Amino acid sequence: MYEEPYRWVEAVSNRRQYLDEQLRHGSPIVAISFHEGIVLATFNQKTPKLYEVYDRLALGGIGHPADLETLRGQILDMAHLEGFQRSPSDVTGSRLMKYGLAPTLKQAYEEIFKAPFITKLLLADLGLRPEHDTFLTCDYDGTFEESTGFGVLASSADAHEHITAYLKAHGKYPRPSLDEAFETALYAWGMASWQQQQDHDSVKDPHPPSDDPTVPLTPDKNQILQHLRDIQTNKDLECVVLDRQTSTPSTYRTISQTEGTQRLASMLDHRP
Amino acid sequence: MNQQGDFVRLLREEGYQFQPSPMPHVPTETLSPAMTQGTTVLAVKYQDGVLVAGDRRATAGNIVMYDRTEKVLELDRSSVIAIAGAPATAFEMARVLEHSFKYYRRSQLQDLSFEGKLRALTKLLKDNSPAALAGTGAVAPIFAGYDSQQQTSKIFFYDILGAEFEGVDHAISGSGSPTIRGILHYLNRWSEQPLSHYDEEQAIVLILKLLVSAAEFDSATGGINREAHLFPTMKCITEQGIVTVPSDRLRMLFDAQVAHHV
Repeated sequence: MYEEPYRWVEAVSNRRQYLDEQLRHGSPIVAISFHEGIVLATFNQKTPKLYEVYDRLALGGIGHPADLETLRGQILDMAHLEGFQRSPSDVTGSRLMKYGLAPTLKQAYEEIFKAPFITKLLLADLGLRPEHDTFLTCDYDGTFEESTGFGVLASSADAHEHITAYLKAHGKYPRPSLDEAFETALYAWGMASWQQQQDHDSVKDPHPPSDDPTVPLTPDKNQILQHLRDIQTNKDLECVVLDRQTSTPSTYRTISQTEGTQRLASMLDHRP
Repeated sequence: MNQQGDFVRLLREEGYQFQPSPMPHVPTETLSPAMTQGTTVLAVKYQDGVLVAGDRRATAGNIVMYDRTEKVLELDRSSVIAIAGAPATAFEMARVLEHSFKYYRRSQLQDLSFEGKLRALTKLLKDNSPAALAGTGAVAPIFAGYDSQQQTSKIFFYDILGAEFEGVDHAISGSGSPTIRGILHYLNRWSEQPLSHYDEEQAIVLILKLLVSAAEFDSATGGINREAHLFPTMKCITEQGIVTVPSDRLRMLFDAQVAHHV
């Protein structure tokens, strides 16, 4: 029945609804450029979301872990074959996204007799200088975007919009230090997560009392910080750095749970 | 992604062959131009870990091809290979190993074990045996690293067919090795203290002296050229990782403790 164009369009449209629903609870991922590298941060529920791809490349993904693994495998193969057959300098996030991940996602999305990938991806590519850092995001339908300064993955369009607007409005990129980049990333993560929670609540209760003062349209700082405190109780902070200063070819460094928790505690205590 | 994290298998699936075999036997004396080779590389256990060093000369017959060759190559954050033999094959082996280790780590989300790394090198040497026997690509490397499971530094050396031997205190390979093998054995057995009790500076000075000695008797081993600021490559492997000894430090120690004896 899908040979009729209308049916096919309808099926693809249904697919979008299905994928949006599946991804609704995905934990956002924020990546920010700073002078000595790139920091990527998120919270997870025991399943990692951030991975090393190649010497100067990190991958973040939200969605179904099995789909993320499949795509991670594909990009690892591409990156290492390219790095070996040509050179590590030829392994770029842009090429991996445009000629690897995005076409795979698009094909799976449009093949309506097969299951699509339930995932959204972010690639952070560390440049030799901060102005050369690039961030590539890819939606489940293969649509990709390239940006500089920061990159964001969020499960809903609203949350993505909020977080992007916040990051554009607050400060210049690259950030001067890891401390500042870390705090900005976590604060932005808190905004996106808070927004997603509001979206979720509004779906559960589509007609809240319009004058209810407990449902603000945009959160203030204290609400974001409280939201981060609440999140800490049932999710683990996951944070990695692509380190521009390291002397080894691999720049990927995991920030330990202890260090991450200390940094977050310091931020929650001191951020005005 | 192949689920075993096997990069060599991935390469093969893409049509890459590390060593097309079998190769016809080519007597070395008939090779024209002469094969590039010649080396002294060694690894010595000292009190903090392992010090791995190599001279910098590559030769082809009587010709010095290059005097700044890097023969001690880092494969990852805890292991190195010191190459002796045909550089073309040895460098390719090192590249395959480096990518294999990082592909495994990134795909399996854990480091390859020390034994796994040794096995990877053995397999490459066995694959290379036709070329080694044909006289066109013999490699006899030293592999050294920190075994995080057993929390100790280790040294292994190989013959050109891939036989693996553990160097309990030290290992030497290359054309200059006969000169210094006996010296190391003597020092380890009958000097005031065994090599494993040497501190880092003592170990560096010892290796400088040994490489100068090897260069004295082996034309394929490069010596030390102070005017050209040309010193051997030395890397210290400890629990903390790999540190390359800076050439400025080598110059200082050479001037203070080695040169006036030469």
